[in-house]
Amino acid sequence: MSSLDRRPARLFEGIDGIAVLLYVLIVLVGCLSITSASYDDTVGGGLFSFSHFYMKQAVWVAVAWTAAVAVLLLDERFYHMFAWPAYVAGIAMLVAALLFGREVNGAKAWFEFGSFRIQPVEFVKIATSLALARVMSAYSFSVNRPGHLLKVALVICLPLSIIVLQNDTGSGIVLGSFLFVLYREGLNKWLCVPILLIATLFIISFLLTPMTLLVLSIVVCTLCDAILNRAWKSRIIYLASLAFASIVLQAAAAYFAPGAMTLYHSLLTVTIASLIAVAVYAYRNTLNNTYIIISMFIGMMIFFPTTNYIFNSILKEHQQKRIESFLGIINDPRGIDYNVNQSKIAIGSGGFIGKGFMEGTQIRYGFVPERHTDFIFCTVGEEWGFVGTMLVLALFCLLILRLMRMGERQEEPFGRIYCYCVASILLFHVLVNVGMTIGLVPVMGIPLPLVSYGGSSLIAFTLLIFIAIRLDAATRQFSLNKF
Amino acid sequence: MIDNREGLARMRTLQLIVFCIFALLAGRLFYIQLVDPRYGELARINTLRRVVQYPARGEVFDRNGEYLVQSRACYDLMAVYKELDRKGFDTARFCAVTGIAIHRLRRGLADASVSPRVPTVIAKYLSKEDKLRFDECNFTGFYTVYRTIREYPRKIGGNLLGYVGEVNDNIVKNNPEYRPGDYIGMSGVERSYEKLLKGRKGVKVQQVDNHGVVKDSYMNGRYDSLPEAGTYLVSTIDARLQLLGEELMRGKVGAAVAIEPATGEILMMVSSPSYDPDELLGRERGNNYMRLLHDKRHPLFNRAVMARYPPGSTFKLVQGLIGQQEGVLKPSDRHPCNMGYRAGKLKMACHSHASPLDLRFAVATSCNAYFCYVFRDILENPKYGSPKKGFEVWREYVESFGFGHKLGSDFLDEGTGYIPERSFYDRRYRGSWNALTVLSLSIGQGELGCTPLQLANLACIVANRGYYYIPHIIKKIEGCDSIDRRFYERHYTKVDAKYFEPIVEGMWNGVNVAGTSWLAKLPGLDVCGKTGTAQNPDGRDHSTFLSFAPKDNPRIAISVYVEHGGFGASTALPIASLLEEYYLTDTIRRPELLQYVKNIQLPNYVQP
Repeated sequence: MSSLDRRPARLFEGIDGIAVLLYVLIVLVGCLSITSASYDDTVGGGLFSFSHFYMKQAVWVAVAWTAAVAVLLLDERFYHMFAWPAYVAGIAMLVAALLFGREVNGAKAWFEFGSFRIQPVEFVKIATSLALARVMSAYSFSVNRPGHLLKVALVICLPLSIIVLQNDTGSGIVLGSFLFVLYREGLNKWLCVPILLIATLFIISFLLTPMTLLVLSIVVCTLCDAILNRAWKSRIIYLASLAFASIVLQAAAAYFAPGAMTLYHSLLTVTIASLIAVAVYAYRNTLNNTYIIISMFIGMMIFFPTTNYIFNSILKEHQQKRIESFLGIINDPRGIDYNVNQSKIAIGSGGFIGKGFMEGTQIRYGFVPERHTDFIFCTVGEEWGFVGTMLVLALFCLLILRLMRMGERQEEPFGRIYCYCVASILLFHVLVNVGMTIGLVPVMGIPLPLVSYGGSSLIAFTLLIFIAIRLDAATRQFSLNKF
Repeated sequence: MIDNREGLARMRTLQLIVFCIFALLAGRLFYIQLVDPRYGELARINTLRRVVQYPARGEVFDRNGEYLVQSRACYDLMAVYKELDRKGFDTARFCAVTGIAIHRLRRGLADASVSPRVPTVIAKYLSKEDKLRFDECNFTGFYTVYRTIREYPRKIGGNLLGYVGEVNDNIVKNNPEYRPGDYIGMSGVERSYEKLLKGRKGVKVQQVDNHGVVKDSYMNGRYDSLPEAGTYLVSTIDARLQLLGEELMRGKVGAAVAIEPATGEILMMVSSPSYDPDELLGRERGNNYMRLLHDKRHPLFNRAVMARYPPGSTFKLVQGLIGQQEGVLKPSDRHPCNMGYRAGKLKMACHSHASPLDLRFAVATSCNAYFCYVFRDILENPKYGSPKKGFEVWREYVESFGFGHKLGSDFLDEGTGYIPERSFYDRRYRGSWNALTVLSLSIGQGELGCTPLQLANLACIVANRGYYYIPHIIKKIEGCDSIDRRFYERHYTKVDAKYFEPIVEGMWNGVNVAGTSWLAKLPGLDVCGKTGTAQNPDGRDHSTFLSFAPKDNPRIAISVYVEHGGFGASTALPIASLLEEYYLTDTIRRPELLQYVKNIQLPNYVQP
């Protein structure tokens, strides 16, 4: 198996036609939508003036397709080698953007060259995918070995933390979607569960008051213990005595030092004090799982205040508001809810077949903000209706499944992991972007891949996908040439 | 490394997750695009703006086809703040051209700056001339909107025609067809016939963008409609008579009403002091309105239909009629009068005239004593047992003459007048009262209150010998064959026609032979009249005069009431007489009388 054997007989042999077709269709949908969303007859210079967004986007499409051809021309081993330098360059770009970049919409994540801007985070997605594929395809790598898992976590968290520092949390969370890849590569199911559980708790902790949370955790933990040890009577007595003791404590506190303690504090004190008794009880009866439940409870007690701390001090005010708005804690259709509200109106008013190309009133008359970038899906929804949205979703779904399929047929883990990375990034983008336009997901400023206006995003996704196609093509050329 | 079988299983799980995520998105889209109908409606609310096009308000003509009220074009001056040329804008020139006060312009622009892209009204009621001048100057960001304003060619009938104002919040709340900025009739004919006069607004449905800027018409104007002008009305008023009436009543407080007895059409209705209807128009309306509202002479109070005056001697006609119908009085009955009526300590004074006298002469000379006898006989009629019972019967008669309740004319703010009830006296005198206690009612004094319209109606009843048509001000409505049915019905009093002859003769004698009304005589016109002088607690007597002419087939019945005018013959009579003369002969042959009336100085008249 010398390298000479693997020289392509024809230049584009082995390229997955279906993936390329899906890619082209999605890009065309994007061009049409941008045209409709941004055409403004008051802008001078005629239909083909470059002051229109769609003409600029046409230029970006040309650049992107040139880049795609370039990607296909390179040998696939180049990407293997290129992974680490790309990763280092990506991190350097992020740091540079953080230090010298330009702030747009609150995120200091842009380089500006004359009249156009570049968002390095789009290219960091490629670099991180390559680096991750490189790390995880190493010989005898096992994702469940703590040392290896730490490596993976480092590769993901380094760019992620810089992106969060840039105040571009939405893009940062995209890298979290690599959990999808880790699962495919054999990450222990029981590691996935707590991660999802933490996310759920995070949301619950905003919706409930501390008192409810405390009572809920006590009841849930006692219940788990009762189920695991099949001992109900003593657990119920335990709960009752907790309640009684805390009321007595509260009454005493109210008598000696009025106002010093609320019922919440009494209950917390009594419960923590009782944990010692519980631990002794567990030790005497050799109930091992009770220890786990005690630590789970303590974990919860630490976790809830931490989420509040994260929420209040790490997230910016507009991010807090978006989450609160999404969870229904605040309702303000003219303020923070305006975008989502208008976007739902635009999509909802499209009906079954939509209002027709360039006929969408909500889009054309500017009711939907960011209509050619993050909220581009509204154009599809309003002008092409349910038929259009289903078609676009179907294209994305097929592309993602196709990428997974391409991953599965790779001979080497590097290609497979990379393909899964691409699929997971695409999936996350589509879920969050489409989800936010229809009120399923809090608003995060991330684009709809290949459809939203923006050169960085289009070129980065093109590169991302075509590297996967190139890697796949190499495998197929090899298998074609072998027989 | 992960082995192939495990990897394949995990791939299946991940495929399932991908499917689930897309199914979730698709399900949500299915719901908001196909199931939930709210969004389509919300989208229309977002983009569609209904622009109202105002109709011209209906005109009102007088009975001879002359304009009483016209609609004239005027313009609202609008501005879009964002489009203003704020550097090159010459405020002084703008104010000079449009005639807008500079502080109003500043306030208007401040309002406009609140929502810079939305057209805002800067000033209302720009005249056509101002608008044309404005158009020549090309101020960017400003434009005008067509509306109409009332115009009164004769400057008459302020209280009669009423005025038009902008709807307030209360009206909008109770009448959903009105929107802020609409006009509505606030009083008089404008209010009574608002539904007909207002016309129908047109609408233009426009598509606007998120800044409120108009982009396009909706569905090529399929839902647009043109404004429909209001219907015109023909009034029963004779504009020239009305003008003369207002001239004659100038400087006096009171009212004059003239009715055509054969139809109940109101020929003239003057309430004095009045105001120039032009004052309640346009830009100065608010200020003028407040000034008129606080004027001590209450020019906005339509005395002709709302005031409550004691009828005085004119009410003797009613007493004579009731007495005859009740059978307690025959025209030939004679009663003595020695400078008044005496019963025990009670004395009702009268002026000097021949005594004893019969009904005809008593009407002609307006003898107080005679009608005290008549009134006492009615109440003390043995048929009813007690004067209280007799009073109730008397009251029913009086009500049949249209007193004590609304006549049902087409004035919404018509007053009821007041005829006391038995219970009123029972309360006041704790049950112990008789005919002598309420004797002042016999000569139209005491607690009686009548509107000038009711008094004119009494003149009609006498002129018609026993019936009346409800007085009304509108005789024809564009596009309708008839006016309301109630105006075509005869209302009979409870007194038979034959009893009217002696009363009419008495009134004729009072004018033409010998009596209090001799000054009202017009050769060849057979005028009948009855003076009245009503005492009142506020000062000088009120002067009133009832009249109709000619005696047979009367063409005009008139009542004039002048507050503190003194004797009926000295103020009210000459005014009524001049009006009759002018209406029946189209000329005035007594310029000295005209001059006299115009020069009357009333001591209680509050100078403006």
